[in-house]
Amino acid sequence: MVKEHQIIAGNFDLAGRASTDLKRLLKSMATYPRLYVNRVCSASYEAEINIVIHSVGGYMTYEVSETTIELNFYDDGPGISDIELAMKKGYSTASQIAHLNGFGAGMGLNNIKELSDRLTIHSTPRGTHLKMIFTIGERDA
Amino acid sequence: MKLNELMGLMDAKSYTPSLMKDKEINFAFCSDLMSDALVIMNSVKDPTILEHTILITGLATQQSIRTAEMLDVDVVLLVRGKIPSEKVILLAHEAQVMLLSTETTMFNASGILFEKGIRGVKYNIQW
Repeated sequence: MVKEHQIIAGNFDLAGRASTDLKRLLKSMATYPRLYVNRVCSASYEAEINIVIHSVGGYMTYEVSETTIELNFYDDGPGISDIELAMKKGYSTASQIAHLNGFGAGMGLNNIKELSDRLTIHSTPRGTHLKMIFTIGERDA
Repeated sequence: MKLNELMGLMDAKSYTPSLMKDKEINFAFCSDLMSDALVIMNSVKDPTILEHTILITGLATQQSIRTAEMLDVDVVLLVRGKIPSEKVILLAHEAQVMLLSTETTMFNASGILFEKGIRGVKYNIQW
């Protein structure tokens, strides 16, 4: 099953909607361990918020199979100039509005890395692509 | 502790009375930063912990409700007299998250609950 969701830049009313839909879908399927669903959706939520805060807009896709879930987040820029620095806990370029919404403290990418089993990031000034793979494992039992 | 008792202790109001349940609360997590709530509450070793957890926050936006929903946490307590907007209340109903508020500060609310045996969710907590 593959599905796509649009993510609108700067819109905190809708920020998290795509991840909420994913959460409700996975919960309704009742096939995955609960802790697994939580970490997939939490990572998705962080990545979605990142697009809302930092980009000019983008979209996410998810592909759900029996043992693996793959999430892809694409945006149209301006890109992450230094990925290593952006991965550092507490490093943030987020605006005041992100802070007022409970995010933007420089934890996002780090949390995504911790919650996912495989994370790849490709970024240029024309856009960023985050690919996350989640496999059911020991920590989900 | 029963949720009703908890509400009485800090004179909390419910914005979602139709969702109110006679729920047992054993754990709590406090944060205004949702990234911390997401990563720390994802490290629990037993999903039933989250069923009996309350999220205490001063963040009265939709993001506190979405965070609770991502984690299967059913109760959000807004502290320091924060008043949620209609949109936030609607989302709480949709997400089946009980939304409460109190004038009590985060530190004092936590102290009241700790005294009653409620413990904080921390990294890799086990019941």
